[in-house]
Amino acid sequence: MRPPLRRNSDSGPRRGRGRGRNQQQRKKRTCRFCDAKEISIDYKNEKRLSRTVSEQGRIIPRRITGTCAKHQRQLTVAIKRARHLALLPFVADAVS
Amino acid sequence: MFHDQRESTAMAQSPAIYETAFIVNAGLDDPQIDAVIEKVKESIAKHGGSVLDINKWGRKRFTYPIRKKNNGFYVIAEFTGPSDLVAKLERHYQLDENILRYLTIRLDKHALKARAQKATADAAAQAAVPEPAPAA
Repeated sequence: MRPPLRRNSDSGPRRGRGRGRNQQQRKKRTCRFCDAKEISIDYKNEKRLSRTVSEQGRIIPRRITGTCAKHQRQLTVAIKRARHLALLPFVADAVS
Repeated sequence: MFHDQRESTAMAQSPAIYETAFIVNAGLDDPQIDAVIEKVKESIAKHGGSVLDINKWGRKRFTYPIRKKNNGFYVIAEFTGPSDLVAKLERHYQLDENILRYLTIRLDKHALKARAQKATADAAAQAAVPEPAPAA
């Protein structure tokens, strides 16, 4: 039997353990770009974009951040543009 | 597909606005950098475009080296013009060895909305500034 489809299923290290038990308690994440309508996703705003990539410079998946599909698509484009202009790193060493 | 069609009809109504970002070699002196920027402006004008706005960010550090350099002079320009202008402009960028990197995009509906909002905010700020001046 397949496990029930889990929305917003992400509690990183706990993944795979206690499935179903925490489902009720888990806080529903909302897309912060939907919450704040006035913020536009722009490749020039490196400070905002830097919060959407990991320390190594990798794009944080939306299952972790809770960003909606529409905004995550816009984000990936913006991040890639920023990388091209050396505003964001392709790879950043954690030790630097 | 549907999005493309909608965007193309939107384009037919109003000419596309492009935004181009380029990085000038920061090793040059300021007058030389200005000359490079001036040449880009000329290139846009020569091929039938018009520069709407030019924004010099100034010298910035790269997050990774480009052509063995660690910083560059960033310039962002907005312009309109025929669609073949972009290719011609990028050809100009390639030929200018002092331009390290460039990016030209057509502003999509989200960017245009953000731009319009910024314009109205700026206009409001402009209107607000002279008002208190006579009072004070």
